[in-house]
Amino acid sequence: MSQRITIDPITRIEGHLRIDVEVENNAVSNAWASCTMWRGIENILKGRDPRDAWLFTQRFCGVCTTVHAMASVRAVEDALKLEVPRNAQYIRNLILIAHALHDHIVHFYQLSALDWVDVMQIPKADPAATAKLAESLSPWTHNSKEEFQAAQSRVKAVAASGQLGIFMNGYWGHPAMHLSPEVNLLAFTHYIQALEYQRKALQVVGILGGKTPHIQNLTVGGVSNAVDLDSASALNMDKLEMIRVLLDEVVQFVDQVYFVDVCAVAAMYPEWFKIGKGVNNYLAVPDLPLDGGNYELPGGYILKGNIAGAHPFKTASDQDFRDGVSEGVAHAYYHGNKPLHPWKGVTDPNFTDWNGDKKYSWVKAPRFNGQAMQVGPLAQVLVGFAQGHPLTVKYATKAIETIDAVGHIQATPAMLESTLGRHGARAIRAAMLGEVAQKHLQLLIDNIAKGDTTVFNQPDFPSHEVEGVGTHEAPRGTLSHWIVIDDAKIKNYQAVVPSTWNASPRDASGARGPYEASLMNTPLARPDEPLEVLRTVHSFDPCMACACHTFDPSGREIARVKVL
Amino acid sequence: MNILIGGIGSVLLGDDGVGPYVARLLEARYVFEDGVEIDDLGTPALDLIDRISGKDAVILIDSINTDVAPGTVVLYRKADIMRQRPAVRMDPHAPALMEAILSAELFGVAPAEVLLVGIKAESFDIGCNLSETVSASLDEVIALVLAELDQFHIEYRLREHPAEVGIWWTRQETPASRVVR
Repeated sequence: MSQRITIDPITRIEGHLRIDVEVENNAVSNAWASCTMWRGIENILKGRDPRDAWLFTQRFCGVCTTVHAMASVRAVEDALKLEVPRNAQYIRNLILIAHALHDHIVHFYQLSALDWVDVMQIPKADPAATAKLAESLSPWTHNSKEEFQAAQSRVKAVAASGQLGIFMNGYWGHPAMHLSPEVNLLAFTHYIQALEYQRKALQVVGILGGKTPHIQNLTVGGVSNAVDLDSASALNMDKLEMIRVLLDEVVQFVDQVYFVDVCAVAAMYPEWFKIGKGVNNYLAVPDLPLDGGNYELPGGYILKGNIAGAHPFKTASDQDFRDGVSEGVAHAYYHGNKPLHPWKGVTDPNFTDWNGDKKYSWVKAPRFNGQAMQVGPLAQVLVGFAQGHPLTVKYATKAIETIDAVGHIQATPAMLESTLGRHGARAIRAAMLGEVAQKHLQLLIDNIAKGDTTVFNQPDFPSHEVEGVGTHEAPRGTLSHWIVIDDAKIKNYQAVVPSTWNASPRDASGARGPYEASLMNTPLARPDEPLEVLRTVHSFDPCMACACHTFDPSGREIARVKVL
Repeated sequence: MNILIGGIGSVLLGDDGVGPYVARLLEARYVFEDGVEIDDLGTPALDLIDRISGKDAVILIDSINTDVAPGTVVLYRKADIMRQRPAVRMDPHAPALMEAILSAELFGVAPAEVLLVGIKAESFDIGCNLSETVSASLDEVIALVLAELDQFHIEYRLREHPAEVGIWWTRQETPASRVVR
């Protein structure tokens, strides 16, 4: 007899993720992922000036603003075959790097750490032992006994007040939580410290982008920053120096704290390297363009976990990628009967009630050459590792060695294909981005110093129809915007976002999407407290916030775990 | 005194754009004393922690979904906001006003005052314009924000020449095609 569990943050009206699982013998026997709100926002763009599209796409999601702006200008540039000047490329790269570092730090500390860290064990920790452990792992200067004592007293104060506040909803004392009190305190202390560094990363985005959220410096053909090392109002040496200092601080936090914490926590949950694998087809596009058609970060795809047989993409809009993507609606609330290429994509709603055998999600089912693909840091790392990309190999190896040193669990690259592996891969990717951040800043400074102040190439729209795809390998994975332009107006626009790949419903053949597949066979200690389901879903860093943000003051319960 | 006046909402979803709309109107019509920051925050979810941390007070403007007539303006104070329960985090980027306040409190950087000026929406259908009902409430919303600023003894004055209102999303032509230096 199976049990059905629905996890559905119910009362707010914005689009959000709902997960349904069936449980038999204390393990997941079936799973469905669905999004509860219609994403038809692309329809707003039809008929508009393609040069304006990025302003609107930047509003698709309040958290991932920058990435949708970037993919949009790239889509128009691809359609026009418009080159982007070096300065603009480096400025864009720096924004993307800083945004991704912010996003990864926030994901681990604010959104996922408390899936693994039992806050209520913290009062039992010995701050001196915690400091000793921390000093053995990292040279970070804020790992003193006093720092840990201060963090511990905050938790003690919260626990003593009886008002659990931000911790109200945790599954404390859950049998799947088993860090030592000291590791709990270590990670929690860094959760408090992370706030400062995530803010510094955003400051970099703000200096270059004019403001954040919603950068203002993009334009089709380049950027609108005035570049002049000596002018007070332009992007000058003072501002570039400010960026250098901020990046140094953020990168140090990533290397000495975030990366180490992920490895340390992972080493203590070795069973989670065997859970949550799911779809083992992986997709990533190249990003951070360099001179001469090269990219700092590689892309490609892997089918059925065959890492040795990985296929590289040569460009960010590789022909294989352009041809291979389609979206199906067999199990999504739209009209249509066969998968369509995004340039031919139709977004015509057809809502029915949730029915796991028929239609059950507002997310379409994207496929690459007919296959469900997992996207995100794990795909990025595996695709790079498969190609022997030195930076990927360096940090993947470092992660595996660090996990091994802490846990003595004979860690291997294959273990990355798991729930914890997705966290590990995100830390690996963050460390890689940290290393290239200063390089791209120096490339920008050197290029300006040569006397090049060009930031923009004028777009020129033909009167006939043209098509383009703009991609960005975003923190959550492959993002692609697909545009059809006719006589300088937008004729069609489709965004295939990372969470669409990962939260995909089944396709016409019944093949599950990555969230769904990754949940299969997950053991649940307490079905009414499905912490294990949350761990795996969170490891993908889902983002459905392409939607409304309405405040509901009714005081009702705003999330529900329903066990039937 | 450091005050953030933040408009929250998606400008692509009808009346949900009322927060950003009011933020931009305030910016165009008034000059505020130093320390007052006005921003169109979009839908920041947990990034709100960064924005409210270290402020003395925060006034947010947002659409609401509650049992009153569309266009009704309701003021919520911190205690009202905190009456909710935090959500089980499924989608980690879901709206998070209360979570942001609780986090800021834990980190010891929470604003002493958080106010939310709510406007009951008529429609969240996809589109870039406010409904007539909500549009008719805009002056009331602005008056309420200014009255709260009076309580904080914040100085402000009407601009002699109103600045250009940056509500680009309601126009067919937008400033992206502006001249690039």
